[in-house]
Amino acid sequence: MARRTTPIDDEKRSYGAVWLVTSLLLFVGALWCIADDNLFRRPWKKFQAEFNRLEIQHLKDAIAAEQQRLDADPAYQQAVKTLADARVSASSGEIARQIADLQRELRRAQQQDQSKDLNLRFVKSELEELRFKYDDALHAGRPTEELLKEIEARGQLRAERQQVYTESQQHIEALQNEITQLESAVKTAEDEIAKLTTARDDVQQKLEGVSLGYLPGPKATAPYFGFDWQPKIPRIQQIVLEEFDRNNFDKPVARVDRCMSCHAGINKPGFEDQPNPWKTHPHRELLLTKHPPEKFGCTPCHGGQAPAVNSPETAHGNFVDEHGHLENVEFIERPLLRGEKTTAQCIKCHAGVQNLETADEIGRGERLFEQLGCHGCHLTEGYEDLAKSGGVTSIAPSLRRIGAKVDHGWLIRWITNPHQFRPRTRMPNFMFEEEQAVQIAAFLLSDTKQPSEEWLAAHPAPAAAAGTELAAKGKALVESIGCRGCHAITEDEVAGQLGANKDIAPNLAKVAEKTDARWIYHWLKNPRGYSPVARMPSLRLSDDEARAITAYLVTLGTKRPAPDALETRLTDVANAAAGEKLVRKYGCAGCHDVPGMENESRIGVELSAFGSKTREELFFGDRTDVPETWDDWTYNKLLTPRTYATKWIEQVMPQFDLAEEDIKALRAFLSSRTDSKVPVKYLYRPPGEDRVVAGRRLVARYNCTGCHVVEGRGGDIRRLYQEQPTFAPPMLNGEGEKVQADWLFNFVKAPVPIRPWLQLRMPTFGLADEEANTVVGYFEALDRVQVPFVHLERAALATENVEAGKLLTSKDYFDCFSCHQRGAVKPQGPPEGWAPDLALAHARLGPEWIIKWLRDPQKVMPGTKMPSFFPGGPPDVLGGDDEAQIRALRDYILSLGMPEPSPQQAAHVVTGGPGTSQ
Amino acid sequence: MRRTLVPSALALILVAGLATRAAAYEAMAVTDGGTLSGTVKFQGTAPPPAKLEVTKDPEVCGKEKTSPDLVVGSDGALANVVVTVKAQKGKKLEPPAQNPTFDQKTCEYKPHVLAFPAGSTVDVLNSDGILHNIHTFGTANPPSNQAQPKFKPKIQVKVEKPETIQVKCDVHGWMSAWWVSTDQPYVAVTDASGAFKITDLPPGDYEVELWQEKLGKKTEKVSIKPKEDTKVAWSMTKS
Ligand SMILES: [Cu+2]
Repeated sequence: MARRTTPIDDEKRSYGAVWLVTSLLLFVGALWCIADDNLFRRPWKKFQAEFNRLEIQHLKDAIAAEQQRLDADPAYQQAVKTLADARVSASSGEIARQIADLQRELRRAQQQDQSKDLNLRFVKSELEELRFKYDDALHAGRPTEELLKEIEARGQLRAERQQVYTESQQHIEALQNEITQLESAVKTAEDEIAKLTTARDDVQQKLEGVSLGYLPGPKATAPYFGFDWQPKIPRIQQIVLEEFDRNNFDKPVARVDRCMSCHAGINKPGFEDQPNPWKTHPHRELLLTKHPPEKFGCTPCHGGQAPAVNSPETAHGNFVDEHGHLENVEFIERPLLRGEKTTAQCIKCHAGVQNLETADEIGRGERLFEQLGCHGCHLTEGYEDLAKSGGVTSIAPSLRRIGAKVDHGWLIRWITNPHQFRPRTRMPNFMFEEEQAVQIAAFLLSDTKQPSEEWLAAHPAPAAAAGTELAAKGKALVESIGCRGCHAITEDEVAGQLGANKDIAPNLAKVAEKTDARWIYHWLKNPRGYSPVARMPSLRLSDDEARAITAYLVTLGTKRPAPDALETRLTDVANAAAGEKLVRKYGCAGCHDVPGMENESRIGVELSAFGSKTREELFFGDRTDVPETWDDWTYNKLLTPRTYATKWIEQVMPQFDLAEEDIKALRAFLSSRTDSKVPVKYLYRPPGEDRVVAGRRLVARYNCTGCHVVEGRGGDIRRLYQEQPTFAPPMLNGEGEKVQADWLFNFVKAPVPIRPWLQLRMPTFGLADEEANTVVGYFEALDRVQVPFVHLERAALATENVEAGKLLTSKDYFDCFSCHQRGAVKPQGPPEGWAPDLALAHARLGPEWIIKWLRDPQKVMPGTKMPSFFPGGPPDVLGGDDEAQIRALRDYILSLGMPEPSPQQAAHVVTGGPGTSQ
Repeated sequence: MRRTLVPSALALILVAGLATRAAAYEAMAVTDGGTLSGTVKFQGTAPPPAKLEVTKDPEVCGKEKTSPDLVVGSDGALANVVVTVKAQKGKKLEPPAQNPTFDQKTCEYKPHVLAFPAGSTVDVLNSDGILHNIHTFGTANPPSNQAQPKFKPKIQVKVEKPETIQVKCDVHGWMSAWWVSTDQPYVAVTDASGAFKITDLPPGDYEVELWQEKLGKKTEKVSIKPKEDTKVAWSMTKS
């Protein structure tokens, strides 16, 4: 290898070309950097600039419209004319001359005033000097008489000059007043116009605020003539959510939201019809007023890459392609939440989501999740304790005495496919073969043999619970006492509805195919006597009533033949053993109380953080057609639960046959189950929220909404009372405010009829003390009742009020007892025309509520039979003062049924009475 | 000039708005209007009038009543039928000069069917001097329920929207009546002799709807000639 021998002199070598090329590259690179930084990678600037233009146009249009309205307004025309006239007369003519004269005079007076002021001050100084000299002479022992005289003389002079000055001041003031008076026409007219143009001027001010000002611009057309409002220069708009996120070391870090850099109009009304990103937020008034973006940002609800501004695709993390399908952008951790997944986020801060406005899906999803019993198989944080009631699994009926209840043939058909018998049942379909169904039935019947037989022995078949006549009586009872609030009695009827296509309580159209008169009779009489976790309440039926209803129910449906040799197969020990394995494998004990399986663990996967699962964590099985996204996986799983099973991987989740909207609602709920937690300071926890959540669960468990409207929802039975809404069960809106806490507690524990006109019966649910407390706490919390208990005593009620109230209830006035019962005194006519016993009011009703009720009953309970008596009380009682009459009536009503005070009590009144209402 | 223009333009818009809402009934001057008059009878044998049991206040209400829901007079004359000519245009729907009155006398409503233009205020009288309440079961109009005790011989209820509204008393369960609030002027209610009369109809062919609370609806056709009285004799029966 030849070495170069001639050394090259580096000093002589020219690098000019290299330098030139490099600096050119550097220069071009710098240009590119600037351009890239300011133009290509700043798409938000374009969006924001466009919005600024839109907003200016919007405000200009608003001003023009307002001006047009003003121009057409006779009042405005008049005001403009008045102002012009006033100005003309103030600048010419007699008034103008007068003003000029006065102003001349004023100037002269002001000049003279100055010298008068000066003269006064001089004499004041001289006086001070003399007083000093006097003091000095006095202490030095010099004569003071001369000085005293001089002081007196000066004092007089000062008084004179003071007089002159004061007069001058008064003169000036008079002149000024006169001038103002003459000029006032203009001022008044200007004020008048300003009043009329407030709306326009407000918009004008807004316009000044959102623009750089009124500058020379390209739009040289009228009315701008070369000037126009100039949009502001776009700037990054960012919101910092302190300590919202946690970093990898679990230290709180801020989240920075820059969404509003593009979505500039999101919190401004008037852009509802614009496309994104300029659109106003839907339901802005409700949602953004309660969640101001400056405090809550955008991504806590919407997801997305909070600080990203490079492109809509990377900021959002997903986009809708030309086929309308949602595509994810790769490597993005937090894609934008769309559709119902956005409202699903409400649950992260709100403990109670079941009645949130504009967040229907998450509420619906949570209700379905709770009531379909998903948590029976899937452990889910926050829903762990729902599956059991008093330690007993209670999502579905207890199977502890199943042998005493069901027809064996029916049991096989039911296990094979419950939807065949009742399409709307909550029980899912496990798609068992008949052989498996027999095995499961064999296990259940042998497992429950002893308790079933014991129950049967203690509950003999009722005598004579059949016959057409009795059945007709039973039918009438079923239709009148409230059974249909929860149960449908024909196949196409819908009573209590869960989601779109499920029933809360069983449809009874074919009940006789399933069970027999003996079980029905005893179940009706005392549901808890069969199952301690029964949701079915007691309607306090007499033996005759229960017999009649039984006679009716056994006419609904007929027994069907059982499979061949069923009884032999059911008693086969091998079958029972196989059945036990199946019951364990498919997790029946997740929902049902099965003897011996009380402590089985949940068989499904935990769902606490299911919403955080990435697509790599989801198994798609052989479903190559399902797009590989969380949404698609979850949708198809809920639609066909065993769809991802393969030849080698079995799946056991049963088929629920859910409606499309319910699948989506459940998916929304599942999407909210993530491992990220919102910091406490962002949580919405109003007082009583926990009680509301607990109350809603209880209301759902016992289906109170089958009969009652609670929180504006439910009242299913009202479908039967459309003609006569007064015979429907009471709506419970405002119940917490209406009744006294201790009364409500005792009432839900042991209801007594309070509405004599109702044939419907408030059932006895057999609530535990804890449950009854939950009910009370729920209603109190809903109405934000601060003081749930009241103490009332007879002596605290003012006698004059009680007397006036008594007069008002008399026949000559309101004649209240024409309809209201008063203890033993009953109204004329049949009970369906009666109204509640007012002698119970003192123990039942809240004193403040009575006031509200008397003011406007229809407002408190729309559709009530109680008419309004106010405004318009009689003029000759309590001076015709409506409010005083209402208080008097209240006090009188409270006094009814209260024991008369003993002399000692009267002398020692311990309360201030029920208070005077505002 | 301008000052008078604006209010009249406003009024025009208001009138136009009202007209579209009221199924586009168009008001116009009717000069050669015809009259529709006649009777409605019950076809076939009238069922005996249903008895109403007086369960309350017998000293004022009386001992026994017959139900006013189907009143058939001699010759089958059918009272309380609402006769509505389905006119698209015609004379202006004027609010009545005097408020329609609706009395409660011996615990019955007088009249049992009261027709009036929408927007009227009904003067509800209480001739009985005992407590009644006026409970209206409207849907287009907000339901209202006002007490009318002895010391209130008259109260007023305004009905804004056209609708047939049942009125009931919760104190006396049997008391029931109908208010027919109309959106056009060609409506009449048959009297005890089954007679009715509707005037100032623009000449032309019309459908006429008969409605009786027990017998339901029935449609008749009629041709009205200028300045002529078209006599009809219609009948209704149980369907
Ligand atoms: Cu009455």
